[in-house]
Amino acid sequence: MNGNTAVAGKGRLYRFIHHDNTVGHIFALPFIFGFVMFSLIPILMSLNYSFTDFSLGTKQADYIGLQNFARLFQDEVFGKSILKTLQYVLISVPLKLSFALLVAFVLTRPTKLVTLYRSLYYLPSLVGGSVAVALVWKQLFARRGLFNAIALSLGLPKVNWFGDAALAIYPLILMSVWQFGSSMIIFAAGLKEIPVSLYEAAEIDGANGWQRFFRITLPMLSPIILYNLIMQTISAFMTFTQAFVITGGGPNNATMLYALNVYNQAFKYNKMGYACAMSWSMLVVMSAVTLVIFKTSRHWVFNEAES
Amino acid sequence: MRKKKIAVKALYHILVIVFGLIMIYPVLWMISGSFKDNAQILRGTLSLIPTEWKLSNYPTGWSGFGGTTFLTFFKNSFVVTTVATLGCVLSSSLVAYSLSRVQWRGRRFWFTAMLATMMLPAQVIMIPQYLIYYRLGLVPGYAPLILPYFCGQAFFIYQMMQFMQGIPRELDEAAKIDGCSKYRIYSQIILPLLKPCIVTTVIIQFYWKWDDYMGPLLYLSRPESYTVSIAIKLFADSASVTDYGAMFAMSSLSLIPVFLIFLFFNRYLVQGIGTSGLKG
Amino acid sequence: MKKNRVIHVLLTSALTAGLLAGCGSSAAPSAPADQTAEQAGKAEETAGEAETEQEPAEESAAAGEPVKLRMAWWGSQNRHDKTIAAIELYESLHPEVTFEYEYYSFDDYFTKLNTLVASDQVWDVFQLGGNFPMYMDKIHPLDEFIASGVVDVSKISESNLKTTQTTEGVQLGLTNGINTYGIAYDPQLFEEAGAVLPTEDWTWEDYQAAADKITDELGIFGSSTFLNSDFIAGCSTFIPQQGELGQYSFFNLDLTGMGFDDPAMLAPYIQMRADMIAHGSYPDAGASAEVTNIENDFLVTGEAAMTWVAVNQFPTIYNVCQEQGRTLALAPLPRVEKDGNAGATIQSSQMLCVSEDSEQKEAAAAFISWFENDIDCNNILQAERGIPANEDVRAALSANTTEGQKIMYDYVDRASKLPMPEEYNVLSPDGQNEVQDNYLNYIQQVASGELTAEEAAQKTYDDASAIFK
Repeated sequence: MNGNTAVAGKGRLYRFIHHDNTVGHIFALPFIFGFVMFSLIPILMSLNYSFTDFSLGTKQADYIGLQNFARLFQDEVFGKSILKTLQYVLISVPLKLSFALLVAFVLTRPTKLVTLYRSLYYLPSLVGGSVAVALVWKQLFARRGLFNAIALSLGLPKVNWFGDAALAIYPLILMSVWQFGSSMIIFAAGLKEIPVSLYEAAEIDGANGWQRFFRITLPMLSPIILYNLIMQTISAFMTFTQAFVITGGGPNNATMLYALNVYNQAFKYNKMGYACAMSWSMLVVMSAVTLVIFKTSRHWVFNEAES
Repeated sequence: MRKKKIAVKALYHILVIVFGLIMIYPVLWMISGSFKDNAQILRGTLSLIPTEWKLSNYPTGWSGFGGTTFLTFFKNSFVVTTVATLGCVLSSSLVAYSLSRVQWRGRRFWFTAMLATMMLPAQVIMIPQYLIYYRLGLVPGYAPLILPYFCGQAFFIYQMMQFMQGIPRELDEAAKIDGCSKYRIYSQIILPLLKPCIVTTVIIQFYWKWDDYMGPLLYLSRPESYTVSIAIKLFADSASVTDYGAMFAMSSLSLIPVFLIFLFFNRYLVQGIGTSGLKG
Repeated sequence: MKKNRVIHVLLTSALTAGLLAGCGSSAAPSAPADQTAEQAGKAEETAGEAETEQEPAEESAAAGEPVKLRMAWWGSQNRHDKTIAAIELYESLHPEVTFEYEYYSFDDYFTKLNTLVASDQVWDVFQLGGNFPMYMDKIHPLDEFIASGVVDVSKISESNLKTTQTTEGVQLGLTNGINTYGIAYDPQLFEEAGAVLPTEDWTWEDYQAAADKITDELGIFGSSTFLNSDFIAGCSTFIPQQGELGQYSFFNLDLTGMGFDDPAMLAPYIQMRADMIAHGSYPDAGASAEVTNIENDFLVTGEAAMTWVAVNQFPTIYNVCQEQGRTLALAPLPRVEKDGNAGATIQSSQMLCVSEDSEQKEAAAAFISWFENDIDCNNILQAERGIPANEDVRAALSANTTEGQKIMYDYVDRASKLPMPEEYNVLSPDGQNEVQDNYLNYIQQVASGELTAEEAAQKTYDDASAIFK
């Protein structure tokens, strides 16, 4: 597989330039540079902070060994935030991805209106964490909001969404699912890449719509599904804005997502060292989850390049 | 038979439209909010039609703060976003190519490193990053907002890698036999085939950068250099009066560029399944 | 091998420079290797770098050394416009001084300040509120400038100066507005419900009875809540209201520990709060989350008959309610005993400080003094940051006040005449935010029956004393 045989017999310089190791490094160079400068150093600095009582505003930070990490185990709020974050990830990611895939698939029908429709569905993702959206979201779920108005008209009891610790996370999950636009676009691009000849062949073989979806679309799209799954999982773990602007972590810490907790510790309670320890512990959890997804992906991701 | 087909078609369109309208209700609410006064907005009415149209929100909002208008903020946003998006597409595709198509030592390590960059929360990386840019003498300025985008963005590197997996390796092999170097394979085979993926990168990255406000907040200091995203936040203060009408007006305006970018590039994504796909 | 590596490097850099102009050019001044082991104390050298940057670039035509001051504040559009106008006035009076100003919303301001603290670049003149203990290292005290006459405090009363002093009497800054807490209410709603109106010496029992009555009769909240007022104006005021004047305080005077020994002293307040939530006369967590801003407080929307206010916010809600045809009034905080201590103190809403990083400390101090004392300047600012501490300014401004402002001025006058302890705490310790957040959660747990008021009091006490460990 090495590119060296093809260039045998040319000059040393030529061979060097075209050696896979050189090519790889050259192409990856922007990333390597950026990684070392803007990620690795900050990451190591934060690791260093996690062993100190560093707080912003004061210059003196002392090493306190593993105390920050030990504290994590006694911190009720931290324990709760981990559980809530896992709940958030486990519910929001599958919902968001299925929804994005469904809409992307439905909107590939070659109608002239598809552009309009897709814009309609992408628009919510363009407003992001804006204050306006946070406000309207709050009002939708407020005690006298739209959802309760509907519930009342159907003869159902009113629901105190943001006051009930068991329910408060669902408006946040719904908001995340609502903003499925970027996943949808990536799926749409993936769908477009599937060779039309495969569908034609299947049609000749007499496969119906469902068969074509499960036999061709899903396997061909599986690398993109894996990608969206990993990215959305990571970003769901890092969700901050929704919790920050809508519930502020309440009631009684029922929506205290981990990134919000880190923010509070670092900036509100002024314990940067502890916040860093928190991040590093969570990094371990997230790496484990990502690794599991990768391991299982071997069984369901169809790789065109290797087949 | 034909009748049934039309009925199914109509049902499809009706469902898609109705559901789409529900989806964009909050966005419409924001736009209608830009024509309401504070009292109407805060009273929490869910109606989309203002009881009293207040058009002055737009000129009030546009006038900005202390003489710096939103014209300046839009210009700044446009420059930063365009340059960063270009940088991101270029560098991410380079890196993705090396990680997915070239067998080099360290490949796995850098792939893992790339994923790891996304797993530490911005809140704890923020201060160390700031210190680095500061030591480099790049603060205040646009460089910290743009430079990292020329170093590849993990989200898009990985996305492009996944798309490259869908490109048959036989193409590379054939090109190699024809005497193509890896550099030419990248630029003449992979890059053109990556078009849909690049389009999604442009759409998403443009929006992310446009919407990013933590970066501009940390790295810009003079109001004349602010971007739209941070200027909009200047209307709001929880402890005193917030002009929500003006804020919504500017938020609505700031949607336009990202939406236009989407409309423009979306054309490349809707030419129907596979019509311009692989001919492998 | 060696040669190969050299070529590799050369090639690499050439290629990247070509491909990625932006990236290649800035690659040269790479960070020092020891940066990973960066310790906060090492940052002095950077302060030096900052100085050279701040050197004014152009010569001013006017006499005197040209001075460039960096300044920042938080607020909303109104404050931004007024403050910028005041700065421009100062620039026209002092041509040698130019300003580079920045302004943000509250949260953003502190995010930005934190990064500047980390890099020793804090603005020459900056605004701080109740959380200033966190930034003590960055504040350059004004005492030397007061001594040299650069800062004029002759028209500011001792007690107003005290609002921005440490317990040792170090003058940290000058307050932009003095402030105190009160309860804003709608007398109309009280009358409709047949509830007893607040008096100057009403008690928490009166308060609870009125709130419950209003809820029973009108189906609205008796009292609304706003952000963390419940802890500062309620819970922590409850302590000094007990015992002799000055006997207890929530934190002790030098902020080294608690100012009371018995956690049970907190329990009645917590019990009352939880009972009110259970009764529906005080918002629960869900309803509280709907209040995002003083303008959509339940009192303003008509869903509550009273709310907490820091009095500088009163004119705002007064005006909004006036547009709806309602007239608000302002009552003092309820007391534990009718003839007991009021417990209220005069505080600073926010102040301007000189930064320790500043190279122009004297010029910065001179500006702060002008901002505080100049009548023209304050005519522009219109007491938007709170009641001016300078008597002359206050007199000049009170000539043309709005109704809401007049109620506020009168209220502060009365409050400052109440007996107050000789010494009291104007500061809160770094770490109070966490105590506050936990406290609010404990109240919810008491309301839902997970905790008793005594347990919640004990937990709050423990959280608060943990600050000092």
